[in-house]
Amino acid sequence: MINRREFIKANAIAAAAAVAGVSVPSLASNLITSSDITKLKWDKAPCRFCGTGCSVNVGVMDGKVVATHGDIKSPVNKGLNCVKGYFLSKIMYGKDRLTQPLLRMTNGKYDKQGEFAPVSWDKAFDVMAEKAKATLNKSGPEAVGMFGSGQWTVQEGYAAVKLMKAGFRTNNIDPNARHCMASAVGGFMRTFGIDEPMGCYDDLEAADAFVLWGSNMAEMHPILWTRLTDRRLSAPHVKVAVLSTFEHRSFDLADNGMVFTPQTDLAILNFIANYIIQTDRVNKDFVNKHTNFRLGETDIGYGLRPEHPLEQVAKNNGKTAGSSTEIDFDTYAKFVSTYTAEYTAKLSGVPVHKLEALAELYADPKIKVTSFWTMGFNQHTRGVWANNLAYNIHLLTGKISTPGNSPFSLTGQPSACGTAREVGTFSHRLPADLVVTNPKHRATAEKIWNLPSGTVPAKPGYHAALQNRMLKDGKLNFYWVQCNNNMQAAANINEEAYPGYRNPENFIVVSDPYPTVTAQAADLILPTAMWVEKEGVYGNAERRTQSWYQMVEAPTGAKSDLWQLVEFSKRFKVEDVWPEELIAKKPDVRGKTLFDVLYKDASVGNFSLDEIPKDRLNHESRDFGFYIQKGLFEEYASFGRGHGHDLAPYDRYHQERGLRWPVVNGKETQWRFKEGSDPYVKPGSGWDFYGHKDGRAIIFALPYEPPAESPDDEYDLWLSTGRVLEHWHSGSMTQRVPELYKSMPDALVYMHPDDAKARNMRRGDLVKLISRRGEVQTRVETRGRNKPPIGLVYMPWFDASRLVNKVTLDATDPLSKQTDYKKCAIKIVKV
Amino acid sequence: MTKNNESRTDEYHVASFVAYPIFEQLIEVQKAITRVDGTEIHATSAEGKIVFTIEGHSYKDIGNKMDTIRNHKGVINLSPVYHQILDESTDSENN
Repeated sequence: MINRREFIKANAIAAAAAVAGVSVPSLASNLITSSDITKLKWDKAPCRFCGTGCSVNVGVMDGKVVATHGDIKSPVNKGLNCVKGYFLSKIMYGKDRLTQPLLRMTNGKYDKQGEFAPVSWDKAFDVMAEKAKATLNKSGPEAVGMFGSGQWTVQEGYAAVKLMKAGFRTNNIDPNARHCMASAVGGFMRTFGIDEPMGCYDDLEAADAFVLWGSNMAEMHPILWTRLTDRRLSAPHVKVAVLSTFEHRSFDLADNGMVFTPQTDLAILNFIANYIIQTDRVNKDFVNKHTNFRLGETDIGYGLRPEHPLEQVAKNNGKTAGSSTEIDFDTYAKFVSTYTAEYTAKLSGVPVHKLEALAELYADPKIKVTSFWTMGFNQHTRGVWANNLAYNIHLLTGKISTPGNSPFSLTGQPSACGTAREVGTFSHRLPADLVVTNPKHRATAEKIWNLPSGTVPAKPGYHAALQNRMLKDGKLNFYWVQCNNNMQAAANINEEAYPGYRNPENFIVVSDPYPTVTAQAADLILPTAMWVEKEGVYGNAERRTQSWYQMVEAPTGAKSDLWQLVEFSKRFKVEDVWPEELIAKKPDVRGKTLFDVLYKDASVGNFSLDEIPKDRLNHESRDFGFYIQKGLFEEYASFGRGHGHDLAPYDRYHQERGLRWPVVNGKETQWRFKEGSDPYVKPGSGWDFYGHKDGRAIIFALPYEPPAESPDDEYDLWLSTGRVLEHWHSGSMTQRVPELYKSMPDALVYMHPDDAKARNMRRGDLVKLISRRGEVQTRVETRGRNKPPIGLVYMPWFDASRLVNKVTLDATDPLSKQTDYKKCAIKIVKV
Repeated sequence: MTKNNESRTDEYHVASFVAYPIFEQLIEVQKAITRVDGTEIHATSAEGKIVFTIEGHSYKDIGNKMDTIRNHKGVINLSPVYHQILDESTDSENN
């Protein structure tokens, strides 16, 4: 027994020592790599949680995952884990894991007002198909919709896009990434004409300065924070600036911590541009060769329902909201000249000397600067603008696409980039940045899918916030939610989502491993296999595509989202879903099922089971009769190959710890748009922003505009929501891990001690947060890791028993349709 | 990992970590780590990164100890690296 203990302890020490880069001499002789003693079978997989894309080694014994550790071979996490990754092995083994479909029934029949009762998969799909067909017959494809996820595997997202956009011929499919990345996508497309960051995590070891804009990396991206911390501690000249509307853990490392008034980040970004111009530090050569200037449309509204007073007064909240006109440098310089240090300091509450120290990091040509941002920018009614304005300052100085010079949009979900963005599971998108509104793009998709012209509808579907509104209004009647917890995650659930799900005209299906709030609001719940219970691919924030094999069987009865989508497609004949004139263009599809047309007989079905290693599980492929994960991936990859989105052959990903696209001639790309590192850049050009035809990126003149709602006499506090380290998003997985639950069991409201005192409240008091839309009860916290300024409170949203989104406002960015969860007005009263 | 692992006492757990202290507080953080039962420091790098292990008898036990160290004001970051469990019951009910 002693020997076994010594052995595993030696393994543990060796792993940590390797991570820290130190040697522990006494260990060397003890270390055995054989797994005989532990009987563990180790394999690699990307972590199930955030968008960092760490690789973990997963240890399986007797058919269960019993251990995980950071993968030392991974260039992302280099052997490290964060606290969520550390407990990964437990997320699959919550006591309330679902294993049978559950249908609301009375007396053995489906009844929307009935109680959940277990049914077979056959019965579940019978009822589901009947409801879908009835909806299609009555109201057409526009009444069918799906809400998916940046946690879907690439293959699942692609299978869903094909089923909805080609099979059911509806664009009403959107991912929960709409809540998290849509503004980033809008920013990339507008400035560069192609999605996703140009830089990569290698910037972390090359930068001289880091600026965190609305990103609490210490809690939300702990592994990247560890690398940043490492850089800061090992190179004394490195500076860290942190901006937020309240003080959080990332301020611990900040040389320049700045708390600003919500929404004024727009002004601060313009001030930096002005500072660069006023101090004559514009990189003129770069700007002349590689950029254009444009003046954007203003007064674009707040993405609320059209009858909302704010939309009534907005001048340009229609289709022109995203338009712009060409201007020259001088006009731009004049535009930003109003953002002086004094004006910006007054507006933002950040002192002049701090603003100038921040601007100097960007202006000084000798400092390589990396900007990181997440939800602070993206969940913003001017989120696309915030992204555009951040690129402005990197473009004005030419600090872009070279090691350490990197405007970097971080992601929140493991495959927000891979699945939601690259596959294009948004209501307006197709794979590889194609959009449904462009006839050439639709034709490309129809050609690859071998489907008749006119199959893919041209009109963008309902985006996330609109889906909830259309459910409530009875326009969206058959709705399938997979791999997310939107009843907890969506804003203003009291007035929109919940009435929508429970609208008697609608049939709601939710696929989830656990009985989440969303599942409980559904009519049919489908039990889902998760993570290493299936094979898949994720794409992380630095364009790294990573695959994994199925390692364990799912609990009996639970099926992966992929299996559910594809199996369900067997229930539909082409005649059930397509009009005769479309079928007539391709008569050989007559009498076939969507399963045949979209998957088996398409190129998806090209790969035989022989290609799966014999010792590998693969439930879906063995059930459908072909290597479906490979088929879906290869067909999807054909959209991007040769067009700047090149992916390697599928099999290679099983050998690698991921590769960053574009992968050309077998080689990954670290920095896009720069000659020498990106094969798509025209020789001799230096930089080439080839997403735009003229190879130039756009610097946008966009102003500060006020938020949709600000505190007033009655609702006198700002409310910002967000996440915490221990829980991942809505907590549907992490709240089931006892250690994580214990360390952060309830969502508290963090407030300044003076604000508490002024309201006669003390730490631990039970209070109500009240907005114009709803209220939620919680307890006051005046200490701890989040320190809001006077006038602002912060409450995380992971807690299903305290739904802060009953209070938030569903104002969205009119360009990206992403909701602003970071600012609304509330009051707090004692209970 | 059996169903009732939270209450079991016949398990041996070992987990390893790297702590990133504020350099000026390195000594204090090292002391804080060794004050926690079942910990052992194995190495400290030139930059101050501390490699240590925690041994215990349940997930909860390890989790509590980890929290204590992570909440120390001198700790900028704490990264768990490795965790393994040995079932030491003589007649294992392991499934």
